[in-house]
Amino acid sequence: MLGPRRREEVIPALVVLLVGSCLVAIAAGAVWISPLTSTRLLAWKFHLMARPRHIPEATSVILFQLRLPRVLLAAVVGAALAAAGTVFQALFRNPMADPAIIGVSSGAALGAIAVILAGGGAALDGLGVSGAAFVGALATAFLVYRLARLGPTVQVATLLLAGIAVAAIVSAAISLIMTFSGQQIRSIYFWLLGGLGARGWQALAAASPFVIAGAVISLASARDLNLTALGEERAAQLGLEVERFKRVMLGAGALLTAAAVSVAGLIGFVGLMTPHILRLLIGADHRKLVPAAILGGAVFMILADLAARTLVSPEEIPVGAVTAVLGGPFFLYLLRRERTRAGARP
Amino acid sequence: MTGDRGDAGLVLEGVTAGYGGRPVLEGVSMEVRPGQVTGLIGPNGSGKTTLVRVAARGLRPRSGSVRVFGVDPYGVSARRAARLVAVVPQETTPAFSYSVLEMVLMGRSPYLSAWRSGNEEDWLHTRRAMEAANVQHLADRPLEELSGGERQRVLLAQALAQDAPALMLDEPTTHLDIRHVVEVLAVLSGLARRDGRAVLAIFHDLNLASAYCDRLYALSEGRIVSEGTPQSVITRELMWNVFGVEAEVSPAGAAGRPSVAVAPALPLAPRDDSPRAHVIGGAGRGAAVMRLLAEEGFDVSVGVLHVGDTDQVLAERLNLLRVTVPPFSPIDERSADDCRALMAGADVVVVCDAPFGPGNVDNLRLALDAARSGVRTILIDQVPIEERDFTGGEASRLWRSLRSNARSVSGPDEVLAGVHAGRGQI
Repeated sequence: MLGPRRREEVIPALVVLLVGSCLVAIAAGAVWISPLTSTRLLAWKFHLMARPRHIPEATSVILFQLRLPRVLLAAVVGAALAAAGTVFQALFRNPMADPAIIGVSSGAALGAIAVILAGGGAALDGLGVSGAAFVGALATAFLVYRLARLGPTVQVATLLLAGIAVAAIVSAAISLIMTFSGQQIRSIYFWLLGGLGARGWQALAAASPFVIAGAVISLASARDLNLTALGEERAAQLGLEVERFKRVMLGAGALLTAAAVSVAGLIGFVGLMTPHILRLLIGADHRKLVPAAILGGAVFMILADLAARTLVSPEEIPVGAVTAVLGGPFFLYLLRRERTRAGARP
Repeated sequence: MTGDRGDAGLVLEGVTAGYGGRPVLEGVSMEVRPGQVTGLIGPNGSGKTTLVRVAARGLRPRSGSVRVFGVDPYGVSARRAARLVAVVPQETTPAFSYSVLEMVLMGRSPYLSAWRSGNEEDWLHTRRAMEAANVQHLADRPLEELSGGERQRVLLAQALAQDAPALMLDEPTTHLDIRHVVEVLAVLSGLARRDGRAVLAIFHDLNLASAYCDRLYALSEGRIVSEGTPQSVITRELMWNVFGVEAEVSPAGAAGRPSVAVAPALPLAPRDDSPRAHVIGGAGRGAAVMRLLAEEGFDVSVGVLHVGDTDQVLAERLNLLRVTVPPFSPIDERSADDCRALMAGADVVVVCDAPFGPGNVDNLRLALDAARSGVRTILIDQVPIEERDFTGGEASRLWRSLRSNARSVSGPDEVLAGVHAGRGQI
């Protein structure tokens, strides 16, 4: 963990990183759009200045129709997955909890695929897919929660096991649906792989309200997430209505996960790793960790998507593969360094 | 609901509670008064922790009622309940690494809302709690790097930061060293007597419970089996009936309260061919030698001792043959004869450096007679005879005569060497 003073600098540093990575990600691609050009075009869009001359119309189209929505979508998806991961990890008192591991991502995907098939794949970015993903995520989250609920309370170990089992069943269901999906198998497959390409403003508009709502709930619950990390009984002794809080947070986590999955498919590692890395840097106080994870998840996803579309241009790598390749080794390095230095728990 | 805080602290009435199946607590009624430290004792599995859980809104009783300063904790929000009653658990293992300061600040949760962070008052309570629990110097340390005792004090600070009028502690001293035990219990006493809080603490150490609690409740198999002052609760009968151990209970130990000592394992019963030893002690000066010889396999007799003397109590516990006279009485002729017979048949007589006054100086005469008649005699000559002669010179004169007829050693530890050396000479 960083020293107390440097810990305070992490959130401002993440804000700077977010702005910087946005500018770089907007600039880079098949056509270079310099940060100066994009800033001037943005200022024009916001009616702050006249239409800048000497900038071709094509540049404007690329910026506003392709780059900008994609970068913003990456930020929103990354923030959502990281916030969901932070919430689930605190709620289940387990640093390995993650939207994918407890089956919520798969549930969201199942819901979304059902609608894609029913709608003939036309409404990929529509509210229908987001809504169905949310229903799927929520249903999975509560199914897992109900399955794990044996007595008056839910034990976390049971919850994780139930989550793993339900995730396996839902994944099997997805495979089954794909087997019978005929020609659409390819589009569903690529959607599942995870990607942010060609989703446009519509996807951003569909996901953002859910993500903002989920992020606000997570930020407001930061202090109580600290209490749940002490265990349910202790949290209750310190004044938390534990059962109600768990339901609200399961809902918030499902909302965040569904929003991300419905527009970007299954992207792993972000929800698991972002809170983990930040906890190693700034500690486990969720009042700092939740905002840091939201910012960090956005930065991480923007950079991962930038790599996905520029590394083997003009081809694209699935962004989920990039997150795993970038994130895995870095995560292992941090884990090892921290363990050997302090023998501390992550 | 009276709302009168002076009225009653924590009151349980006819509480039956459990986790499904057989109840863990059955018909438990108790009262933890404000301004007092109340102790809860009982063997493992008797329901002590469950009782704390029930009182802290963690396990709704199947029947009966719980009132904390007039309020039913199950009828109000968790937040409101946490302002009324704070708990110090035995141990908490956070899923992630938190600093001591972060942990203690969590104690302020019942007073903070989502968007309101701590104000002056919260910081004041946090700082006071850390000072009271003596963890202020650990503020920035991660909890998992601390020792068990330090962690336990952090949990105490966390609960103190809650600033609740009722405080419940589940074995607050288990992991503490003796200095911190005294410190923490002094803090608890202060919270009760100075601030008027109602304090309930689970104790395994009955001597601590006896010394620090104003009232005690003994729990056995989910029922209260004894309640009242330490004097009325900590008894030999309780030790046997509830804990199943033979123990010596002194009605007034060092703290002026009952103190408990478990009986030592009895040495093997002497056989017919065991060597015989007779010990002349008194006022506790013979205890060590008695035990030593008994463990060495001697058939030990003692006397003449006064009833109630420390040596006499131990001799009784060790089941030794003993000659006694009533307290503060002189040695009568019959006792002297008994003692003379025992010494005549002994392989060795050990005369301890006990204080000698008119009541027991005859013991020295008996010893001198035995020594002169050829009985091997060992004299423990550690404390100078002049300092323990309360006969005006008579005891000193006898002691000096004994010296020339016996082997002198400088302490109880050397008695065995003296015994064996003496044997070698024969």
